[in-house]
Amino acid sequence: MKLTRRNFLAWAGIAATGAIACDLFDDELRVQSPALIPEDLVKGRDNWYATYDPSVPGGQSILVRVMEGRAKKVRGNPRFPTNQGKQSAAADAVLQSLYHPDRIAGPMLRNGPRGSGRYRAIGWDEALNRFRAAVDDRGDGMLLITEAQCAGFAHICQVFAEAFGGRHLRYDGLDDSAYGAAVQDVLGTTRMPWHDIAHAETLVSFGSDFLSTWGNPTAYSVAYGKFRSKEHRGRHIHFGSRYSLTAANADKWVPIAPGSEGYAAMALGWAVATSHPESSYVQAVTGEAGPGALSGFSPDAMAGMLQIPEAALDGENINRFFEHLAHDYVAHGGLAIGGGGEAGAYSNGKFNASAALMLNYLLGNVGKSGGMQPDAGAPIGSAPRNAPPATLRDWRQAVSEINAGRARMVIVHNADPVYGLPSGVGIREALSNENLAVISASPFLDETAAMADLIIPDRAGLENWGDDAPNPAPGYKVYAVQQPVVNPLPDLDPRSFPDILLSSAADLGRGDMVPAASYEELIRANIAELGADFTEALKNGGWWDEGDTARGADPPSGLLDSVAGMASMPQVQGSGDFQLQPFAHHTLLDGRNAHLPWAQSTPDPLTTVAWQTWVDINYTQGKNMGLREGDVVNITTANGSIQALVYLNPASPPGIAAVPMGGGRQIGSDYATGRDARESSNVMSILTVAEADGSGGLAWSANRCTITPANDSMPVSKLEGGYTSREVGAHPAEQVFKSVTDGEGH
Amino acid sequence: MPPLPPTRQLIPLAIAGFAVTAIVAFILVVLFMSWFSNPPFGWGNAPDQPIGFPHTVHAGSAEEGGHAIQCEFCHRNVTTGAAATVPAVEVCVICHKQINGSNVTASAREQIEEISPDQLVDIQRVLDRHAESRPIDWERVHRMPDHVRFVHEAHLRFLTQGEPRTVTLPVGDEKPINLPVTVPEACSVCHGDVANMEEVQPQQGQSLKMGTCLDCHRENDVSTDCTVCHK
Repeated sequence: MKLTRRNFLAWAGIAATGAIACDLFDDELRVQSPALIPEDLVKGRDNWYATYDPSVPGGQSILVRVMEGRAKKVRGNPRFPTNQGKQSAAADAVLQSLYHPDRIAGPMLRNGPRGSGRYRAIGWDEALNRFRAAVDDRGDGMLLITEAQCAGFAHICQVFAEAFGGRHLRYDGLDDSAYGAAVQDVLGTTRMPWHDIAHAETLVSFGSDFLSTWGNPTAYSVAYGKFRSKEHRGRHIHFGSRYSLTAANADKWVPIAPGSEGYAAMALGWAVATSHPESSYVQAVTGEAGPGALSGFSPDAMAGMLQIPEAALDGENINRFFEHLAHDYVAHGGLAIGGGGEAGAYSNGKFNASAALMLNYLLGNVGKSGGMQPDAGAPIGSAPRNAPPATLRDWRQAVSEINAGRARMVIVHNADPVYGLPSGVGIREALSNENLAVISASPFLDETAAMADLIIPDRAGLENWGDDAPNPAPGYKVYAVQQPVVNPLPDLDPRSFPDILLSSAADLGRGDMVPAASYEELIRANIAELGADFTEALKNGGWWDEGDTARGADPPSGLLDSVAGMASMPQVQGSGDFQLQPFAHHTLLDGRNAHLPWAQSTPDPLTTVAWQTWVDINYTQGKNMGLREGDVVNITTANGSIQALVYLNPASPPGIAAVPMGGGRQIGSDYATGRDARESSNVMSILTVAEADGSGGLAWSANRCTITPANDSMPVSKLEGGYTSREVGAHPAEQVFKSVTDGEGH
Repeated sequence: MPPLPPTRQLIPLAIAGFAVTAIVAFILVVLFMSWFSNPPFGWGNAPDQPIGFPHTVHAGSAEEGGHAIQCEFCHRNVTTGAAATVPAVEVCVICHKQINGSNVTASAREQIEEISPDQLVDIQRVLDRHAESRPIDWERVHRMPDHVRFVHEAHLRFLTQGEPRTVTLPVGDEKPINLPVTVPEACSVCHGDVANMEEVQPQQGQSLKMGTCLDCHRENDVSTDCTVCHK
């Protein structure tokens, strides 16, 4: 067809009309929202929310950086009175619990043998119906086992369990029952005292690794920094049997026999009393009897128990040594801390802790700046006092109740007693009872959760409401608030466990027995009771009143007699050349963080070992046994045997085998399980079931063991030691340490 | 072949004349609508959207019942790239996973009481789209012609960054503006007060025509070279 002007106009008209009629412009006039967020689009603006992490020792208030509804970074809350802007490596790692590939996505029902870890997904309606039916049917035989968090969460759990005739048990893998019992006796409270390290002149510590895992290590580390950076630098002496982070930081570390911390405190008390016989504090503690009341604890009488190496006595006899310590370290502005943690995990743990607490009364620092501050009490008056964490005695009772059929249902939340208690307790066997209903609300699978018939996963900490009364508190009342800062990922469908408890109680006709309809509502009521503004409390991370402090500078009557009456050396379980000294890993803690890769890969501050379980033994002793670093050894107690890699440490005292907790997971995340048994083992599994006197706690430090080579070796995964360092530079001002590889010249 | 009667001879001419008239009229109408409407063919009214999205609820101030979400929380690229971009459905789900009418927490229940049944239906549509991995096709409200290059980032950087200064923008009521301003204030210079619009309406801020662009560029010593804006 010939293209004429007329044809051109005709076709142009037809084309335009057709384009309009066929809606060809539609795509031009639309803009599409993709289903998923493109990875390459970043807004670049962040929000910081204050919240709280109760899973680390002492609890920490944190600020979380949130971008695009995703949590990116954790840092300490600078306003909060305990951790004051700092956070631990374990708190950093909490981010990974949000986006962890092994997180339980939704409710599940067991479809394999109990403990097999085989489940099928179910909906929330079915899960809640099953949960409520089980509670309705078996509530009078309920054991509700949760982590050791206190305040509102423990309040809800306690009230819920009691509403149906059951019991609430708080599990703490770092059993500190002996210290709690000592605090109850000496200070009349279940809550730990605060040690005002920042304002102390000198510090003496007994066993407890307060700069790593005991008490509130982050808060104490902040205070320790101030203590050390004052114009008159604070001085620190440490008594302990293990080369810990605290021992390494002290000006002087006095190695003593395992479990003799109480005697060291008493010997120092004797030295203080004899050097200041007229002191009103000495008179008050001794009941006006004066230093003579402590004559039975003179250092020379204690020498056989303390077993202080000759080299550590500075060439003096032991009495003069302690007198000098009393004069140099503690007589003026001195503060005593410790007696708990690994020092309290002996049969005589309560004595060790009580002696350390009493020393503060002898020094006259109780209730004063730079001294020991008794706890000011729970911030919320209307909440019931939370029971202390369950002791070994409680766990044995629970096992016997299950075995006898009186306990017919176990609900477990973020607690793993199957992993953390010695195998001799028998909790795994008890939970295997097919007549027992087991329900887990933990967001991750672990040894205990895998025993569950039904799993109703809780939201992760940063997705949940929560609160806490930090323990220890800084000498005054503190109420910490945890707010949800993000929502779960779209493919996850967890629900708040405390809210499930509260709504279930209401649905089962017990609504009037629980404190609120939701956890958030309870927190709002608590903040209102404190007279604080809810939004301000969220912004600050909580509420505190620096003026609301405790009184109690006077020692309880008969304190010295009471403590002296407990004096005894620890009962040691088993035999062998080594004292087995388990200790809390600084990021894995008791193993609760083993599923977090950041926690696994954080190097130990002293050895720099990561990802592995090692045994820290004296360098010379190890060499004499023919051991080298990385050799696999069998560590055998009366209750079993594990393997670990040798780490020879010149600073470790002879006869001590220090092994970190947290390894050897059998069930759970890929990051914690499936490891070679030679390099990842659970030291708690081979402990003997032995109670500490007077508290019922687990004496987890009181085992002897043998160490025998397994004729195998593996590389130790660590940072230090791969390179040697040499000092270079001709002038002192130019001298630096340069790292060179082996064989490399200057 | 006998010649056609005079009247029948006029028929082809009439048809051709009618066609030409129709085409010219059509072109004129298109030009007219393109000039006076934004988006084209919309006569300046907001088009119907597949899912109701009340900006008042999301971006409105807390005092007026909104949630004061920043513009750039959803329009993520607006401060960093050329296009403001509309949010992915997953961005909606960040919040609406919680605010969805079926969650058990009390905070969600409180929020749901403030949401109408119609809005809950729309929320469910969003959740369904996300569950099915289906995108949402929104009707475009603001659109530049294809031959124009407009970079949001550069304009927001001018309005929200730099030393404090007072300028007069030849747009709107031409009152002096103290810069820098916040991102939402900068957005409203051209788009109007979107936070207070139930449905986003075109031409509430500026006409988005070439004259406006040139006036503002001249006033603020920005190049008016053709290639600055034209592809």
